[in-house]
Amino acid sequence: MAPMTLYTTCLLGAVGLYLLVRRPAPGKGPGGAPGGTAGSRSLKALGTLLALGAFGYLIIAAAEWIAPGEGGRPEVFYVIFSGIAVAAAVRMITHRRPVYAALYFVLVVLSSAGLFLLLEAEFLAFALVIVYAGAILITYLFVLMLAQQPADPDHPEGGAEYDIHPREPAAGALVGFIMLALLSRMIFMGAGELPVPDGEAARAAAWRQLEQMPQRLRAFIAESGDENITLGWGDEGAIDVAADGSAMVRYEVADGQRKALTLPEDAMPENVQSVGLGLILTFPVSLELAGVILLMAMFGAVILARRQIELTEEEKREAAGLRRLGHFDEPAAPEGGGG
Amino acid sequence: MIDTILASIEPISTLTLGHYLLTSAVLFVIGLVGFLTRRNLIIMFLCTELMFQGAGIALIAFGRFHLDISGQVFVIFILTVAAAEAALALGLVVLLYRRKETLDAEAWSELKD
Repeated sequence: MAPMTLYTTCLLGAVGLYLLVRRPAPGKGPGGAPGGTAGSRSLKALGTLLALGAFGYLIIAAAEWIAPGEGGRPEVFYVIFSGIAVAAAVRMITHRRPVYAALYFVLVVLSSAGLFLLLEAEFLAFALVIVYAGAILITYLFVLMLAQQPADPDHPEGGAEYDIHPREPAAGALVGFIMLALLSRMIFMGAGELPVPDGEAARAAAWRQLEQMPQRLRAFIAESGDENITLGWGDEGAIDVAADGSAMVRYEVADGQRKALTLPEDAMPENVQSVGLGLILTFPVSLELAGVILLMAMFGAVILARRQIELTEEEKREAAGLRRLGHFDEPAAPEGGGG
Repeated sequence: MIDTILASIEPISTLTLGHYLLTSAVLFVIGLVGFLTRRNLIIMFLCTELMFQGAGIALIAFGRFHLDISGQVFVIFILTVAAAEAALALGLVVLLYRRKETLDAEAWSELKD
């Protein structure tokens, strides 16, 4: 894979992004034509074409470079989901109305949930939709409504002044180009050593997770009538995965006799079970820390909200206190006597 | 040309880790550019969430292709941190907005001096 092709693609993508986020051409005085002049509109179209074309080429056509021997064509759902994700992400950072940007972010979240499904991470795909699209985005929309800005009179098509005029678009696009060129160059350099998908190995890994669920294995064995068993055959593990993808559980009964039982297909741990097992067994401390982080976020939010109320009351007291100070000047003596 | 497009639509699973890494890199870079160029505080935080998405896709792809469930567990932690960050950051944004009546990040540029 020629590095120059890669860099050129990244450069075209960055130029497209720059054309999309750059400051709009000044209209002819206040109340200029909506959408800018014809020239700036065609530049925007060119930017869209450049950015989407370059990013699309990078993530789709680059398959030829990554896996040259295998036809190099990515799966159709991958193309759809990543295409929607990238297009919505570009639209999100270029849309001048924040509410629409938030809604485009929902689209990004939904399509990356689709990518998670392709990666066999079903639980996280749904968790992503629920947590991001359901909870976090609602918070964003509420804050957007709380902090509504009046539209800029110079741009009647809507959007506040700071949403229309970007900050340093050329520098931003340059940083984006450097970052993208570095990242994709690293990915392509290591492409030969990247692991390839292996369905059988995935099945075997899922079966092996049962070794961490002894209760479940014991329940299966108890159904077959054997009691007082020891899992595993001495040094050998409890799970034996056959070449055809089925698995057996190995165990010893009380008198030392070694037995094996073929596990039914639905005994294989599902994605939720695997994630839960990994969470509980591998990262128990991190799980507790995540709980602490959420608790602290809750306390933080409460404190932030409370401080605002206290400030306004303090202001009230300050405003009233000036008057009260004058009041208290005369009857100061009884107060001191009471204390 | 049409033949090429039609042929590419055939569902052949030749997806490699590189594909997902490239998607996540592109999403991350778009979020980065958005964070650097937008001036709206809320949109800037939204762009950090976009970068979280890119990182999450990369983690899950690594976990899938290395047959390790830890990638997905990490994404759960990312979700946790993103939720906590969104709650706190948006609360701070509302406080900042009440103080200056604008969401413009440039309004706070005197912090640079």
